Amino acid sequence: MLRRRRLLQSLATLGTLSALPAPLIGAAQPAALSADALAPLEGRLTIYLGRGEGGLYGDIIAALRKRNPKLSLQVRQGPTVALANTIVAEARAGVRRADVFWAVDSGSLGLVADAGLAVPVPEFLHTPLQSQFRYRHWAPISGRLRTLAYNTERLSPERLPKKIMALADSDLSVAWAPAYGAFQSFVTAMRLLQGQEATRAWLLEIKKRATPYAGELGVVMAVARGEADVGLANHYYTLRFKAGKPRAPLALAFTRGDAGALLNASGAMLLSPDPLAADFIRYLLTREVQSYLAEQAYEIPLVTGVSPPGGLPSLGEIQPPALDLTRLSEVRPTLELMRQTGVL
Amino acid sequence: MNRFPPSYPLAGGAAALALLPVGVLAWLAAGAETLWPAHALDVLINTTALTALTVLGTVLLGVPLALVTAYVQMPLQRFWLVLLAAPLAMPSYVGAFTFYAAFGPGGEIEGLTGLATPSLRGLAGAALVMTLYTFPFVLLTTRASLRGLDPSVLDAARLLGLSVPGGLWRVVLPRVRNGIAAGALLVALYTLSDFGTPAIMGLDTFTRVIFTEYNAFGLGQAAVLSLHLLAIVCFVLYLETRVGTEQEQPGRILSLPLAPGRQAAIGTAMVAVATLALGVPLAVLGIWLAREGIGGFEPVIAWNSAYVAMLTALVTAALAVPVAFAAMAGALGRVMERITYLGFGVPGIVMGTALVYVGLQITSLYQTLTLLIVAYALRFVPLAVGAIRSNAERLDPNLVQAARLLGAGRAEAFRRISLPLSARGVITGAALVFLETMRELPATLLLRPTGFETLATYLWQVYEAGYFGHGAVPGLLLILISGIGLVIMLTGERQTDTGLFAND
Repeated sequence: MLRRRRLLQSLATLGTLSALPAPLIGAAQPAALSADALAPLEGRLTIYLGRGEGGLYGDIIAALRKRNPKLSLQVRQGPTVALANTIVAEARAGVRRADVFWAVDSGSLGLVADAGLAVPVPEFLHTPLQSQFRYRHWAPISGRLRTLAYNTERLSPERLPKKIMALADSDLSVAWAPAYGAFQSFVTAMRLLQGQEATRAWLLEIKKRATPYAGELGVVMAVARGEADVGLANHYYTLRFKAGKPRAPLALAFTRGDAGALLNASGAMLLSPDPLAADFIRYLLTREVQSYLAEQAYEIPLVTGVSPPGGLPSLGEIQPPALDLTRLSEVRPTLELMRQTGVL
Repeated sequence: MNRFPPSYPLAGGAAALALLPVGVLAWLAAGAETLWPAHALDVLINTTALTALTVLGTVLLGVPLALVTAYVQMPLQRFWLVLLAAPLAMPSYVGAFTFYAAFGPGGEIEGLTGLATPSLRGLAGAALVMTLYTFPFVLLTTRASLRGLDPSVLDAARLLGLSVPGGLWRVVLPRVRNGIAAGALLVALYTLSDFGTPAIMGLDTFTRVIFTEYNAFGLGQAAVLSLHLLAIVCFVLYLETRVGTEQEQPGRILSLPLAPGRQAAIGTAMVAVATLALGVPLAVLGIWLAREGIGGFEPVIAWNSAYVAMLTALVTAALAVPVAFAAMAGALGRVMERITYLGFGVPGIVMGTALVYVGLQITSLYQTLTLLIVAYALRFVPLAVGAIRSNAERLDPNLVQAARLLGAGRAEAFRRISLPLSARGVITGAALVFLETMRELPATLLLRPTGFETLATYLWQVYEAGYFGHGAVPGLLLILISGIGLVIMLTGERQTDTGLFAND
């Protein structure tokens, strides 16, 4: 893993090459801050990390440990919702073990915030983020985009709708994963943007031509195998699948300005007032970590001045819908709707 | 005779401990409105059908293999047993996902060989995968019972004109039906509580509904539904108590010599089973490994898995002995024993969360290895209890009474008669617990000390992220370590054999 080594090197030893970023400071579109500009972290810190991302987040943790030898960093990885439930259970018993909750879905962060356990995000963590991503209770770290993954042997891109609602009017067969959290966030967004009834009609129509899969990696594999024309999945599953199997007949398409192009975010929440915890999150928003997430995990950087992963158009081109991501935790009515329509 | 069996206080303690997380579930469920899925009947039918088919499949596969590994003289006898027990250490979701990827149009088998294979999905796919990853429950419990049988009855049957297969069917198998039932019970409970396999195969079962609720921030609803599932669990537990057996004295172990041709045929069949259950997932992971490159894997993870599973096997077997003996001592003991089974039928993620609440009651133990091992022991004590009880139930109580008559105290009679005669069951139970601990995921994720990773948690991380090829090395290690662990335990079994029945 050549790139992985590069991250370790850049985070650990870039100090000696610090001449490079200097001319960019103060430019109109400032480059993201390098980790070199931050003071080293010292002390003890415990992170609850919701879902593992294949050791990629682990690599970031390893790089941060290497760079900050005086930091004793404990990391607990687990299913995001289960960790959120654990944090709530701990608080009820008067115990706090985690200083930071780093979660892949905003709904779990909402659960912990609703329990009143979030320490407000300090201003210096807002500054590096693009303005639409500055929330009170948590700092977004990276983004994931809803996409249409389609089989290039079964159809040409012109047959794909430009709007997600129009998919219901097509005759394309669909692979989806209704039990998967990201899908439920997408339906929640549709409900908030298009209303309850339009969403119900859409679900009922698509259901006639849809095959359910357990997860979205399964959706993408099914499309690549020709089991369906189009799959509804987060962008990175397709990019990772293509990285392993470049000749697979699989490509990405995007709808414009609607739930089909929802940009959801992973994020970090402060559970402890210890400044060390906030300083740790600041490291996650540095140029090195954000570029690494983009290049290796194919996630979308949310700080200003870092390019998105290859194979994706820019966010300006895709036009994700304007939606407060914390509202995506309103998933209960969504489940109700999915149950009524027999989708779930 | 004392009317109050000495095993009761210990078994009562184990039952009370096992009830704690169920009590937490009831507490979490209080106040949550019951949401019934629109297709509740379908869900119930799917759940029942999957459980019934899996039990049937595991009995059809496990019992013949138990006969072979218990009685037939084959070269490499221990190797076969270890190989056939190893699927128990493979997480069934790993099996399900790799099977899904291997078979069907566009699958890995077609990609490699050009051979078209049918897709594995739905009820058939889920039942096949569940059977492959649970049949060793039946194999091991049945084998332990078979090895305790006195073969002279079969000799008599043959003298009276029955063929060997006829004798096995009419004289041997009826005497181990409680061993078969104990294994089948574990299979049924495992199937009821497993989430990954039906989800990957696209089958809507009870656990999937529970999991969806849990993930939609409905912990209360998930707890309610889990309690409903417990109703099915109780029914299965009741069914198994209906299977009884005669008591008899143990004898030397039957040994069936076979012609080399038949040995080869049996060997081929065993290789085929192992290839399906172990070869397919490892090969698919290997293909993906070659495609994606090796991930950063630390060997300490394998060691963590091995020693925690070993410790858990010891602790759980020790806890299970009084529970199993209490079950044989009277009706109240039987109830205590049934209670320890409840937790095994609840989906792991819900049980794990309930155990977090239990663990938080003793803050100094929370997120320590001690608590993790206690949680495993609570969850897996039924595995050992079933094996010990089905083996010891058949023992003639006259032996203990004779010892007492000859002046042995109750403790001495237990130590010198009951325990050695049930040693095979204890070792089998410990082996089952060892293998199951190796693959346990949800409780491990929630209760392990922060930063403590096992092979199962590592596999989960790479699977969740879609980098499953990184699972090839840990998957292989899981099989290897299980093999080593089994060899150690089976060595213990051999010693009890030669010590007690040195006549062969």
